[in-house]
Amino acid sequence: MTAGDIYFDNAATTPLDPRVREAMLPFLGAQYGNPSSLHAAGRTARTAVDNAREAVAALLGATPPEIIFTASGTEADNLAVLGVLAQHEVSPQHVVVSAIEHPAVLETCRHAERRGAGVTYLPVAANGIVEPETLAAALRPETRLVSVMAANNVVGTLQPISQLARVAHDHGALFHTDAVQAAGKMPLDVVRLGVDLLSLSAHKLHGPQGVGALYVKRGLTLSPAVFGGGQERGLRSATENVAGLVGCGEAARIARDEMVQEAVRLVALRDRIFAGIAACGKNAYVVGDRFRRLPGHVCVAFAGLEAEAIKLLPALDEQRIFVSSGSACSSHHAGEPSHVLRAMGYDPVQAQGALRITLGRFSTSAEVDHFLDVLPRTLQTLRPATTRVII
Amino acid sequence: MQTSTAVPSVELPGLDCGLCGVATCEEFRARLTKSPDLIKRCIHLDAGSQRRALLRVVEDPASRGPATCTSGTCVAPIATDGSRKWVDSLGREFDFVLQHFPEEPGPREIIIPHNPMLTREMEIKKGDVMIGRPLGMSCGCPVTHCGEVRDVDPRTGVITWCVTGPLRPRQEGFKDIGYYIAEAYEGLIQASRNEIKIGMRYYFQPDMCMLQWRHSGLVNYINRSASGLQVRLEGLWIG
Repeated sequence: MTAGDIYFDNAATTPLDPRVREAMLPFLGAQYGNPSSLHAAGRTARTAVDNAREAVAALLGATPPEIIFTASGTEADNLAVLGVLAQHEVSPQHVVVSAIEHPAVLETCRHAERRGAGVTYLPVAANGIVEPETLAAALRPETRLVSVMAANNVVGTLQPISQLARVAHDHGALFHTDAVQAAGKMPLDVVRLGVDLLSLSAHKLHGPQGVGALYVKRGLTLSPAVFGGGQERGLRSATENVAGLVGCGEAARIARDEMVQEAVRLVALRDRIFAGIAACGKNAYVVGDRFRRLPGHVCVAFAGLEAEAIKLLPALDEQRIFVSSGSACSSHHAGEPSHVLRAMGYDPVQAQGALRITLGRFSTSAEVDHFLDVLPRTLQTLRPATTRVII
Repeated sequence: MQTSTAVPSVELPGLDCGLCGVATCEEFRARLTKSPDLIKRCIHLDAGSQRRALLRVVEDPASRGPATCTSGTCVAPIATDGSRKWVDSLGREFDFVLQHFPEEPGPREIIIPHNPMLTREMEIKKGDVMIGRPLGMSCGCPVTHCGEVRDVDPRTGVITWCVTGPLRPRQEGFKDIGYYIAEAYEGLIQASRNEIKIGMRYYFQPDMCMLQWRHSGLVNYINRSASGLQVRLEGLWIG
């Protein structure tokens, strides 16, 4: 990234907050102790990890022992799904997940499916929302776990997590939410939401890459995913990434302190982008719900131009504006339509054509102005699939 | 302009989360008195609570669902009343009738002259009245077509026109582009007997075809509109 670049891909990853970097630096230098050591250097590291755990717990309304640090949000998702299922290996297993989950959940469930578990992939409404009634109909007596993401990474749609958790509990199933996109951007009080497990990732909230966390409700027993020295309550053995955890904790603290003012600011910028795109006369439509979405998340498409997204992104890239056509994690399958948009009912061509603009803490009003100036000109260079669109 | 003065009787969550765009629920409630529609911005209320709180529901024109059905890529059969005979003038079956956009003078065709340079040499422009015949592989119609130009791409020579009857060329004169290739049709489907899926080839009956012969083409664009199912068909053949 260089000066003047406009980074509107904060759903993929976020820039490290300088305050987070500052907090991490001592643990990349003089403070290199192992938290498991009993000497002073080790105790200093242990204190730093404990403080980070407290900060993450505070962000979620949890208690520190309920936070298990991992190396990523993906690992936290894996631990949640496989850790629950491993507790029920001798009895029938059934998992319910939404069809629009991140691959970190979907692929884990497919792995479980290959090992004999039953998996139901819940359909979503056209706005990307999982209806509680749909979930209720999918539950079985042997359903062990329901996993529905708090906010979708591609379209930004927010799910009715507390309602879905209540439905799962009424049927005796545990409830996990992948909150990697939502954490730090909206209130996620685990008690109010009623979730049993919740995953997050530090690099989505201006923390470092390579750090995740899983909230595990007190009293819930999981099977470990990594075996070794017994760190993280034995669920995730490995010497702690102290600097990373410190960064995660600081990122959580800042997100919690600044959440409301940041949400207000981002919603205003988001609304300006929606209005600006609608005004550019290219038959733009909102993908996902217009309001039930993350504060800085815009996902739109242009009727008749969906197949040209492959040209739109490089054209914006040339202007040093970095946006996305979907999840960064799906770039390994770039030729495939988005599974999220397909699940929402978009045809295979439309499902390749969404433009995802995700704002973050360092996105500015001037950047939005510049983007809205460049976009209409860029759209003019595209070749529509149809000579006219009627709405 | 919204003029309601009643305060919606809705219990706001009291989380002061800012996700509606204002910092506190109290401030949000104050704004609701002027604009009840803002209730849609509270993500913590379910749709039922929002509906109850709304004094007037206004659909957001910028929001819409996907063009196709929510169960996949298909658009279900539109008319199955059994009264329509799905055969052309030669007794051949077809899947749907392609109608032109209601405010346009005739079916919308995307064509290219056999010599694309003609588009520039003849200075074809929007509004011109033009004649020509769709020769050869695409799509082989023996009838010379007349119509009005809607759009021109001078770089490629591609012309978009609406095919009309012969009266206007007789009255106003015309530009004759000779033979052309019909690259695509665009129009509306208001009745079909089969699911319409993107990527599938169908037999269809252009509503205004003088010969009432069925055509076939590949659907490569679908858009559900208020007027019907808008489609684009390429790879056109007669029969």
